[in-house]
Amino acid sequence: MLGSFFNIDGGYLEGLCRGFKCGILKQADYLNLVQCETLEDLKLHLQGTDYGNFLANEPSPLAVSVIDDKLREKLVIEFQHMRNHAVEPLSTFLDFITYSYMIDNIILLITGTLHQRPISELIPKCHPLGSFEQMEAIHVAATPAELYNAVLVDTPLAPFFVDCISEQDLDEMNIEIIRNTLYKAYLEAFFAFCKDLGGTTAESMCEILAFEADRRAIIITINSFGTELTKDDRVKLYPKVGKLYPDGLAALARADDYEQVKAVAEYYAEYRALFEGAGNNPGEKTLEDKFFEHEVRLNVNAFLQQFHFGVFYSYLKLKEQECRNVVWIAECVAQKHRTKIDNYIPIF
Amino acid sequence: MSLFRSEDMALCQLFLQSEAAYSCVSELGELGLLQFRDLNPDVNAFQRKFVNEVRRCDEMERKLRYLEKEIRKDGIPMLDTGENPEAPQPREMIDLEATFEKLENELREVNQNAEALKRNYLELTELKHILRKTQVFFDEQEGGSSATESMTRALIPDDSIARQAAGPVQLGFVAGVILRERIPPFERMLWRACRGNVFLRQAEIETPLEDPATSDQVHKSVFIIFFQGDQLKSRVKKICEGFRATLYPCPEAPSDRREMAMGVMTRIEDLNTVLNQTQDHRHRVLAAAAKNITNWFIKVRKIKAIYHTLNLFNLDVTQKCLIAECWVPTEDLEQIQLALRRGTERSGSSVPPILNRMDTLENPPTYNKTNKFTSGFQHLVDAYGVASYREANPAPYTIITFPFLFAVMFGDLGHGILMASFAAYLVIKERTLGAKKIQSDVWNIFFGGRYIILLMGLFSMYTGMMYNDVFSKSLNIFGSNWRNNYDESTLMNSKALQLDPNSTAYFKYPYPFGLDPIWQVAENKIIFLNSYKMKISIIFGVFHMLFGVLLSLWNHVYFRDRLAIMCEFIPQIIFMCFLFLYMVLLMFIKWVNYSADTIDVKAGPYCAPSILITFINMVLFKSSKNPDVCDDWMYAGQGFLQKLLVVIALLCVPVMLLAKPIMIMRARKQHQPVLNIFLSPKLKSLIII
Repeated sequence: MLGSFFNIDGGYLEGLCRGFKCGILKQADYLNLVQCETLEDLKLHLQGTDYGNFLANEPSPLAVSVIDDKLREKLVIEFQHMRNHAVEPLSTFLDFITYSYMIDNIILLITGTLHQRPISELIPKCHPLGSFEQMEAIHVAATPAELYNAVLVDTPLAPFFVDCISEQDLDEMNIEIIRNTLYKAYLEAFFAFCKDLGGTTAESMCEILAFEADRRAIIITINSFGTELTKDDRVKLYPKVGKLYPDGLAALARADDYEQVKAVAEYYAEYRALFEGAGNNPGEKTLEDKFFEHEVRLNVNAFLQQFHFGVFYSYLKLKEQECRNVVWIAECVAQKHRTKIDNYIPIF
Repeated sequence: MSLFRSEDMALCQLFLQSEAAYSCVSELGELGLLQFRDLNPDVNAFQRKFVNEVRRCDEMERKLRYLEKEIRKDGIPMLDTGENPEAPQPREMIDLEATFEKLENELREVNQNAEALKRNYLELTELKHILRKTQVFFDEQEGGSSATESMTRALIPDDSIARQAAGPVQLGFVAGVILRERIPPFERMLWRACRGNVFLRQAEIETPLEDPATSDQVHKSVFIIFFQGDQLKSRVKKICEGFRATLYPCPEAPSDRREMAMGVMTRIEDLNTVLNQTQDHRHRVLAAAAKNITNWFIKVRKIKAIYHTLNLFNLDVTQKCLIAECWVPTEDLEQIQLALRRGTERSGSSVPPILNRMDTLENPPTYNKTNKFTSGFQHLVDAYGVASYREANPAPYTIITFPFLFAVMFGDLGHGILMASFAAYLVIKERTLGAKKIQSDVWNIFFGGRYIILLMGLFSMYTGMMYNDVFSKSLNIFGSNWRNNYDESTLMNSKALQLDPNSTAYFKYPYPFGLDPIWQVAENKIIFLNSYKMKISIIFGVFHMLFGVLLSLWNHVYFRDRLAIMCEFIPQIIFMCFLFLYMVLLMFIKWVNYSADTIDVKAGPYCAPSILITFINMVLFKSSKNPDVCDDWMYAGQGFLQKLLVVIALLCVPVMLLAKPIMIMRARKQHQPVLNIFLSPKLKSLIII
């Protein structure tokens, strides 16, 4: 019954999304891709997959950046097609997904202008999913308050920004703080939105978002060692929706080095496993890759259930991971640096 | 025999000299009679032997697509002579590549120049518009300032005197052009970022401008922003940059503006001549390319197809020859040998290719030879299911049955004429229409099925005449065989009158062809026609199905499948005959035995039984309740015979369902492989149709 109600509005799009998902590259494809000698080989193989002729109109020789752009373009077209066909509440849900790209774009532009780069050089680097009208005029702002008043107040990010207005000026440190505060507010809002939607959507999305929140908390902590960020400020950046909240976050707040972070993770079964195999030595996977792997696993799980919005989020994330994988392989092929070519993260 | 069954196929091995392989495959490709098997399924697409050639073809295709896009942009018609050039020799590939390379480079250069010129042109036109529009703003400003002056003076006179002494406040301004749809956010942003301390005026440019990069038509607006001070100036400029507005210098003095406008006008004219020359050059290049482009496309695609096919081949150990495996219709072996010989001759190789027949246990592919007339029907049948190898092909029968059964339903002379003439137009014009290569799906359905539609139309005309329907009206060609035998007063006084066939109203012999036109005006037309057409349809349907079942017998005999004959065909035919053929029989009995012009009540219209009710009662084992004067049955022993028929027919159901699986199961248990069970008939398609 629930399913039939879901299908009135979301049935077509869910079917579409699952269809798209079937086009995600399989392990066998990756095995073929890593055998490629040149980027032309890569192109030829990708032609045999769902990507089809997406590189057919590119003149040789191919550059990795072209592949990257085209991969992203295809993903964005698919996502925007779904967004254009969506109705409430799915449309809001999909919008929420784009907010994270908006945050990244804003930070990218501010950092860029801080380093005196011309805006025309920065715009192509922005993610097209996160572009908004006022984006290109962002460099009029010199302080966070101005940023809010002049640029962001019209965007959906405005409510997330309220906590940042108090910051004095835009230097490197403050930008990082703004990014993380924005992201924290965004994650919490997204989490609350999914909880409100209820049902299977809440089940699957809260799991994924909780992991996202925890990952941010852990990474912020690890990256803050050796910087001038105080512990009090650090606590303010932790998103309070994950499994670490509240005890784990309190423990993280006190951590002084990597070992202590690891000790905190020990208490949580899934995170302990991630920390155990991680390392920077050759043959070991970095913590970052471990996190990606776990994220992929969660996103794949979202497809096990039906009648929920999680599949859209998961599809986007999986596809992004796939783009990262293909670009990684392409980069390794282009630079003839084959020793690390196997460091991609397989999805299926 | 090939009309009724798919072609006899043989698996062949083909040994080709490396140097002759290309031209041989080219010749075979023109024939289109072989199906090659992939001999290296485990090899990646990019690790195959001729991958570089395929890639070169890809590159050529890309250039051609670019050319095609540019040609379309300029709206130059592409010449399509419908000729089919042969695949060029591999050495000619280099020439083609060079030609395309040259064309592409030339075109890109021209495009670049044109774009730069267009950009220049756009800037000048924008400037022209700015100068024209801002004139109005400046005029207003001057007029407006005096108005505010008078107002301020009236309110606070002291201040105004002081300000007058200091002279009017020096206002800075920038003028520029922006996309029209970006005006509202632009204005809002200006207001917010400058806290309302700027003054924006804008005016729309009426004529759309051409975007040089995409050559789209875009609407733009002129704006002018007044502000005070340098800080605001830099901020305003930043916002303009952010909204991709283009700023232009605009002199403040009216005379300077006029002078500048004059200069701009002359420069625009100069630019126009240069631009026209560039366009002419571009047009010439494209027009030359447009003549050949379809030919080139075919050539490149043929080369690519040949190399794709060569990639399926195996290389033998000595690297001197290529080995291919292919399915070949045995009838055409000779033609293929000929083509191979031609290919070898063309390549100048001395060693002839070898074509070996191989024995195989594999099930060969189904290949039905078609021509332009039968292909539509074959597609229709294949849509329901492709017959297995050597199975009876229902397509030849479909050529008649499908249009006929359609016409039974459609049956109207007028509509049939329309349909037939539309299809006839398609058939007569098929050469010119086919050459147009129209891409529309709907059109292709009609065009592909033109012969089907033609036959459907012709048959509909026939059935329409039988039904005596022309656009749902009747034709009275021979004169009705009924007449009115009532006098005028009766006619005037009664609402409905009956014509009794057993009186002078009927001439005692039927209308010579089809339905009597008198039925058109009859009140009970629908009642009569419905039961009449329904009976006819049932008769046709039952015979059609019987025919289908008989075809399956033919199939079983061909494959020597005794099990299927015993457990499928016989129960099927019994079931069909005992229930439905019997019903058809009843109809004929009714038509023969009962009539209106008889004095015997029992054989008259009053006692004529309803076949539908009789049949329902038969299956339900009920006896019919007839009025006392009539007989209960249509013939003696009907009740017993009907019960017997139903019981036997019902007994056939479990036989049809279970007998064959059980027999196969038993055979398997005894470890006797039953091979021919896999060749199940696919003749259901005929039955469905």
